[in-house]
Amino acid sequence: MIRLELKPLKTVEDARSMLETAIGLEFGTLPPYLYAMFSIPPGKNVAAANLIKSVLMQEMIHMCLACNIMNALGGTVKLVPPKYPGPLPGDIGPIGKDALVIHLYRLSKEGMKQGMDIEQPETIPNFPVLKAAPGVPATGTIGQFYQRLDDFLATLPPGVWKKGRNQITDNQFFTGQLFAVNDYADAHRAIEEIVSEGEGAKDEPLDFQQELAHYYRFGEVYHDRVLTKIAKPPGYQWGPAKLGVIWKDVFPAIPDPGTHDFSKDSAAARAAQAACNAAYTRMVDALQQAVTGTKGALGNAVRAMFDLRLATQVALRTPLADGVSVAGPAFLYTPIKGGAKA
Amino acid sequence: MSILETPRILFRGNIAWDPIVTNNNAPAYDEDTAQTLYPDAPTIQAKVAAFRKEAIADVNPNANPPNGPSRVWNPHGTHRSSFYDEAFPDPSAPDSLIVDSCISGVDTGGGPDARDPFVGSPARFTGMLVDLEPYGSYSSQLFFDTISFGIDGGCRIVAPRNSRVNDRYINLGRNPVYYIAGFASVIWQTSFRKDLGLIVDDYDSLALRKLKEALRQDDVLGLTVRWTVYRTVYYDTPALATDVPLQTAVAEQLMAKLESGGFQPNPARSKLVGAIGLWRKGEPEHEPGDRALLATQWPPGQPAVPPCVGTAFARLGEKSVTLDLGNSMPETGLDLTKQDWGDLQVRAVDPADPKRVVAKLGTLTYKDYRREAYEAGSGIVTLAVAAADARAAAKANIQVVQAKTGTVLLDEAPLRAIPLVPNLYLNAGEAATAKLQLYQRGAPAGAGIPITLCQMSADGSTIQGKTQIVTGAGGVASFPIQVGEGEIEAFVPLPGGNPVLPTGGLNTMINTYMYVRILPADAAIGALPPTWDNVYAKVLANWKAMAPCMDNWLDLDDEAQVRAYAPVIKALTDPAAFENYRFMPVTRDMSPGCRALLYNFLDGKKPAAAPAEARPNARLKAKAPKPAASRLAEMSKSMR
Repeated sequence: MIRLELKPLKTVEDARSMLETAIGLEFGTLPPYLYAMFSIPPGKNVAAANLIKSVLMQEMIHMCLACNIMNALGGTVKLVPPKYPGPLPGDIGPIGKDALVIHLYRLSKEGMKQGMDIEQPETIPNFPVLKAAPGVPATGTIGQFYQRLDDFLATLPPGVWKKGRNQITDNQFFTGQLFAVNDYADAHRAIEEIVSEGEGAKDEPLDFQQELAHYYRFGEVYHDRVLTKIAKPPGYQWGPAKLGVIWKDVFPAIPDPGTHDFSKDSAAARAAQAACNAAYTRMVDALQQAVTGTKGALGNAVRAMFDLRLATQVALRTPLADGVSVAGPAFLYTPIKGGAKA
Repeated sequence: MSILETPRILFRGNIAWDPIVTNNNAPAYDEDTAQTLYPDAPTIQAKVAAFRKEAIADVNPNANPPNGPSRVWNPHGTHRSSFYDEAFPDPSAPDSLIVDSCISGVDTGGGPDARDPFVGSPARFTGMLVDLEPYGSYSSQLFFDTISFGIDGGCRIVAPRNSRVNDRYINLGRNPVYYIAGFASVIWQTSFRKDLGLIVDDYDSLALRKLKEALRQDDVLGLTVRWTVYRTVYYDTPALATDVPLQTAVAEQLMAKLESGGFQPNPARSKLVGAIGLWRKGEPEHEPGDRALLATQWPPGQPAVPPCVGTAFARLGEKSVTLDLGNSMPETGLDLTKQDWGDLQVRAVDPADPKRVVAKLGTLTYKDYRREAYEAGSGIVTLAVAAADARAAAKANIQVVQAKTGTVLLDEAPLRAIPLVPNLYLNAGEAATAKLQLYQRGAPAGAGIPITLCQMSADGSTIQGKTQIVTGAGGVASFPIQVGEGEIEAFVPLPGGNPVLPTGGLNTMINTYMYVRILPADAAIGALPPTWDNVYAKVLANWKAMAPCMDNWLDLDDEAQVRAYAPVIKALTDPAAFENYRFMPVTRDMSPGCRALLYNFLDGKKPAAAPAEARPNARLKAKAPKPAASRLAEMSKSMR
């Protein structure tokens, strides 16, 4: 069972603090999922790539929805680029153990296990957090984390909600999935979407749109089996059909390139990393603008993400000094005076 | 036949449209030469930049005179069109059941049923929307790889492409409250061969089990999927239909975004209802081949004034008649309330004496075609018919009549000639023969029946020639396509030796048709030295100007990057991959000469010492004006 620090909520400021964690958490999942997806060469491991990409897209939506709630509550979103390896906000981790340390892994069993760990659903009905005394830091799944937030938001008076404040909608991207949060009903729907898509419905691997929740999508890749409906309890089983994962069909990308010393590698490898970091930095900067109300900035962020993809393609084809390995993007936020340049 | 037979699977949902619309108009693109028409500027790079700037300026709805080019609402489009789920109720249709794109029901013979386990399973489709003729949208196509319903490991249908999806029966009178092309509804259809990877996993779904069993029949080729899209909203703002100042405001907001840089798509969205059914031998792949009940409220060459009833299709069983009204019954506004025509009588009349009713086939009440029924049954309605009446109707003309006025709203055309290939790409100099299948009351007709073939202008407004052909065995007729220079032609086949000609223009509710896109050979371009300057000016600049979304993938201004991506560019423009989803849409208009020049460059062939060809300003070049398009064509044009 995964756990995530749950704090008691008494004020709107508490809710904003929790949302800050939520935003950081959603943001923090993007680089590891991107790294795994980028590591798959075109035409290889297609089913796995599609599953990871589908999770990734929904995580982007979840982050925007969390930002929308924060903005609707009058808060200011501050995107804090995470570092890898490192913990995710909220001290997410297994019960009784240290916080999860999130790595950048290429498509691999450990990478998929990490995804399952992050997205793990509630499986213990009487999870201790439900019995925790008020005011005592407790833990829960991401779903329980959001449930606590939702419960508190339901108690807020209507006047708290700032209609139309810095909202990102689906009018350009993520058609049908991204909507403005103007009141509690909207926030509740956003939270339902986030939790359902991440963990699935209660005791059910399908989300509210009858598609596999994230945990099970990673599970399909991890087990290399299609989650299959069966007539008898528990209703599903892994396989027998294979998903068709070929673990060796990936770029030989090192884990956690942020910890790698590139000084011994070629100038091309260093330049490729620099291009990745510059594009990532532009993306973060544009996203920051987008979630604080700058019109058109989301389009700039998306363009920068494509730039990152292009730069990654080069990086993943540029050998490191060992002549065998390559490095994907380190996701290092590297702002420079006057704005990031490519 | 087809989706009008059971078992039938029903679905509904939403679809987003994200085409680039910059090349809709003559001032921006020459569809005969397949070349962009740039503003005057000193260099080709400057021309591209100026073109892009103009495309943004044309977003302004007040920028163009009423008879000028249509508004450009999406210069940063990607061409992608996808089914999508609404995470939030559609404010324009607060009571609509349509939220997710999913299976909405099944019909195993007893009417729509929402209890089958397959119901609620997601419907997933992503295609590239490309019009064969850039100025119009009579020939829209969705290039795709796979459509799927359900998910792996559960009840599902997975259907790899057999042929692209084509639109037909564009109904320009569907909704009286609209912005841009929001008035229209359109039928999309394609079919999937059972021997080309079609998967049906039934698990606990009775409907899928019956469908799977039916697929084993020898005369079943596979599955047909047909859907109707309607109520298209632009700028994600339904209120634009009635708020003129808002139209300007949202356009200015988009222009500001476009000018701020980045990638700024502006997709439109529609509702859809659809059905999956059996595809039997002899049935058309890409458009309805059932008995055609043609709209009567469409004056030739003119759009009907909405709301009016659009063409429908019918299948007569031994004791039933099934009507596909998916593209027929109009709404009264954005809330999608259906126009109440009162009771509608379905009857069969003597073809020689249309006033003589030979069989009464039943009555549709408003309850049968109102929005709730439409969304539950995808517009398909079955009426019980006495066996004797069904027999009498077999060789009679089916009509749908408004009971209170006696007005015939839909009237069967017993013969329909349907081209086997709806949209055909050819290169100048290639010989081609087209075929069409004549249907008589929904079944292949016999030999010796004359068909008058009208050759129409690209915009469908003018008859440019006509000829007569005769059906051979099984009702199939062939005709040669004369391929000259680069151009676009439309062919309208009319059953009979002396039919009513479409003098007012191609009528999408009445006429069947085929479009042919003939790309210029451009041999001179192909023979140019494969220098960067030449390949940029003749090929890449077109894409750079017309498709800013390609900036997301590579910088077409950057020679080194283009060279580095040579294998990818070749793979994405390989003629062998023409039907693929990932074939780059803007390159579908690439002539053989342009392709030769590009590939010579990408292959690193050394240029000979010839100078780059001077490029005159095509906008300033004398060019015969195109004939004015009919009002119908103008309206259709705005659909893009």
